[in-house]
Amino acid sequence: MAAETTSPPTADLRDGHTAADAAPGHGPAGTTEVAAHGADSGGLPQFKFEYWGGQIVWLFLIFAVLYTLLAKVFVPRLRKIKDDRAATIAAAVTEARSVQAEAEAQAAAAQAEIAEAHSRSRRLASDAKTKAASDLATSQKAEDDRLQAQMDEAETRIRGLRDQAMTNVRGIAADTAQAIVEKLTGQKLSTAEVNAALAAQGAV
Amino acid sequence: MADPMHQFEIHKVVDLPAISVPGIGAIDLSITNSTVSMLIAATLVVVFFAVATAKAAIVPGRMQVIGEGVFGYIDDLVAGIIGPEGRKFFPFVFTLFLFILAMNVLGLFLVFTATSQLAVTASLAVMTMLLVIGYGVLRNGANMYKLFVPAGIPWYMLILVTPIEIISFVLRPVTLALRLFGNMLGGHVALKVFAGFVVSLGAMAAGGGLGLLGIPGAALSLGGVVALTALEFLVAFLQAFVFAVLACVYLNDVVNLGHHH
Repeated sequence: MAAETTSPPTADLRDGHTAADAAPGHGPAGTTEVAAHGADSGGLPQFKFEYWGGQIVWLFLIFAVLYTLLAKVFVPRLRKIKDDRAATIAAAVTEARSVQAEAEAQAAAAQAEIAEAHSRSRRLASDAKTKAASDLATSQKAEDDRLQAQMDEAETRIRGLRDQAMTNVRGIAADTAQAIVEKLTGQKLSTAEVNAALAAQGAV
Repeated sequence: MADPMHQFEIHKVVDLPAISVPGIGAIDLSITNSTVSMLIAATLVVVFFAVATAKAAIVPGRMQVIGEGVFGYIDDLVAGIIGPEGRKFFPFVFTLFLFILAMNVLGLFLVFTATSQLAVTASLAVMTMLLVIGYGVLRNGANMYKLFVPAGIPWYMLILVTPIEIISFVLRPVTLALRLFGNMLGGHVALKVFAGFVVSLGAMAAGGGLGLLGIPGAALSLGGVVALTALEFLVAFLQAFVFAVLACVYLNDVVNLGHHH
């Protein structure tokens, strides 16, 4: 009986359904089928131990093949991609950092250059100003000196002329005094006497 | 109503000769619907990653973003739970997650769910625990006993704690297998039952008379199927994720034995 009732389910799943559904009177047969299985193999088809050996062997074979493929091909491939990506990202980040550092250094250099140019121009301006001032002072001094020299020369000339004039005046005074004395007294005075008299009077 | 357990029946697709293994007996290597769905799931995973990583670029395409997203998700998970040493277990956890996820999701599109077979989930669980034990012994040697003897606990407490730790360790593969199996089994049974209601209540309404009351019932069941399908997509992802997380947690126990990082 067991052999008879187990044969329809093994034929096809859908056939089994329709057979059972189309014939409600077959219901008790279904229950006897289950009961029959229960009697044979502990209720569940899973406990039909005649199929265990084949399933276990095939499972280990398939698992071994799958494990080998995954372990030797796919896992290293995926691991490599992930490592490559991590390395690429790390390299890109490092490069970006170095580029940034370089840009910062260049910016600092430009800043320093600008500052230096500023100070240089400031120094240049102040130098020019100092030079101009000193040039001015030098030329002014030279002009002053020249003028001073001219003034001194002129003064010396004037003094010479005045002294000469004064000497002439003295001569004239001496002559005049000699002539006056001669006219008044009829006595002729020597030049030395007149000079002494003039010196005694303090005349220039 | 169709038998809700019918969907879990295994039938042969291609007959292959059985091989006999000494000590175990004959193993039927025929390709069954379970094998086919496992093969499709594994093929989909491989095709997906082949496409996703075919044109591996620094700036990824759409598929590559998805592939890298899944990769990064599990990578972070493994590194987060196990720590830097977890990297060597990453391919294993990644394979577990993808394979289970593919089988779970395929179960929502095809007629067969490989992860609803206890043979499959138990094998995955046993494989995980064998890796945990194997690596633990290789790495820690005789220090493996520390797994069952927590440090800093007085000896009289150890009498109680050690058996509990041993039992919990032994039960790990069982719970790992049953959690995935039960979730898939229950979800698909519930879907099938609600879908069956739609048909049987509709058939009742077709009879007319009082049977017309079956129409709102059928509509409600149909809404239930839609809602459950959405829920099953969540469960499909969640169970794959939980399996991967627990594999990491168990591996962490032996990788970082005796000290928490």
